[in-house]
Amino acid sequence: MSQPAGAGNRIVTSRYDGTWAGLPGWPELPSAAAVLVADNTDAVRAVWQHVTDGDRETLIATATRVEDEQAEGFRADGLAVVRGDVVQPATAQRAADGGRVWLLTSGSTGRPKQVAHTLDSLTTVAGDQPARTWLCPYATGAYAWWQVVTLSLSLPGQDVVFVEPSQLDEWPQLALEHGVTAASGTPTFWRQALWRAGDVVAQLKLEQITLGGEPVDQAILDRLREVFPDARISWIYASSEAGAAIAVHDGRAGFPQAWLDRETAGRPRLSVADGELVIASQKAAEGMAPAIRTGDRVEIVDGRVLITGRIASDEINVGGSKASASSVRRVLLDHPDVVWAAVRGRKAPLVGNMVVADVVLRDGAEADTARLQAFCAERLPDYSVPRRMRVLPEIPIKETLKSDV
Amino acid sequence: MSTLSRDQVRTMMGEVLATQGKELPADDSTRLDAIGFRSLDFSELALRVEDELDTELNFDAPELRSIETVSDVLDFVDQLQQA
Repeated sequence: MSQPAGAGNRIVTSRYDGTWAGLPGWPELPSAAAVLVADNTDAVRAVWQHVTDGDRETLIATATRVEDEQAEGFRADGLAVVRGDVVQPATAQRAADGGRVWLLTSGSTGRPKQVAHTLDSLTTVAGDQPARTWLCPYATGAYAWWQVVTLSLSLPGQDVVFVEPSQLDEWPQLALEHGVTAASGTPTFWRQALWRAGDVVAQLKLEQITLGGEPVDQAILDRLREVFPDARISWIYASSEAGAAIAVHDGRAGFPQAWLDRETAGRPRLSVADGELVIASQKAAEGMAPAIRTGDRVEIVDGRVLITGRIASDEINVGGSKASASSVRRVLLDHPDVVWAAVRGRKAPLVGNMVVADVVLRDGAEADTARLQAFCAERLPDYSVPRRMRVLPEIPIKETLKSDV
Repeated sequence: MSTLSRDQVRTMMGEVLATQGKELPADDSTRLDAIGFRSLDFSELALRVEDELDTELNFDAPELRSIETVSDVLDFVDQLQQA
């Protein structure tokens, strides 16, 4: 098979610094394999083997994300399970489904599910792109991780520096050392980076900043614009199931209302049904409904469609009144002293549930929980005001780089 | 389980009202509706008590319906802690 256009791009992991084409081969990798990796080095080797062999079927995930029971399920589905040098053969024998790439969903609705893609359906950036060195901090094998990987494989000049979960605290330094000029991360990732290492982050020569994976609020977009006045700031809406569906580059939260119900060749069709975002896309995973109900709640404000949170977890029933966790969170994030907030319902007598919140404050903040409650009370109905609030010492961050909101 | 004294619960009740700029009167026979201590406020007090005791209490007791005064609230939280 001929090599992809990005074969000469440089990739950097904690154990490798070289081109895709220079990666050590993995010829003994079974042709249908779930590769459960310890780090990005093994992951990119498995990717390269998949690309160059042509007729492989591959699942790549961080080993810690997959429980034994799920691994046994992979084997029963015909995939060998590979952990380092240890190969457990499939318990059901079948030929590899050539070119198939399995992804595990983020699991925000329970145990990660499996969805089927191909390198083609995972490749969403085409055409001439400026040469860049990307930072890839995403969980190995996640949809967003594959987005950076396929970009680097398909276009010359797209180098990648991979960040291991253990390096998340020091990524700004790593990015400085390797001359990163483009970085993609969740809003939680960016919020944490600016809060914890704002001085180092500000030294980066970022030309492209991409946010995705979570609802994006105006405050984090404005803060990034302040630190990087010349960078292109993009918000991407994508999911393992629906693929990359929305890309916004105007620095404003949400997307234009005019994009709804519009038919454009080669672009997904976006619509809203009962307050939920619905996407019909050619880049969706295999076997998806023609119109995928995303489970994300949307609100239309001043001609923009804002994604406010997951429908399943957003609504808090307080004595029969419906409080929106995402709306409360937005108000908290509007406070100048709040750098991060998570809002949820907590079981309470008489009213069933009450709104409670965890917040992280900026260094030197004057606000305390009483002031924040008063701030919310001026902007929200009384049943939506968080009645219990904890101030956390730092932003909690999960392997997916998303916060528990 | 450690318990909270009547005075401690009274202080917490005062804190709930204070965040709304209200004051808890000295007279425990004061009716809750007179001081604007509503169901949301009672619920907040319940969570404060649970947090302080680090345990979940059973607030579904039938006595809950007859709470009308400051004293009723204090009695009720007292009973819960004894249960």
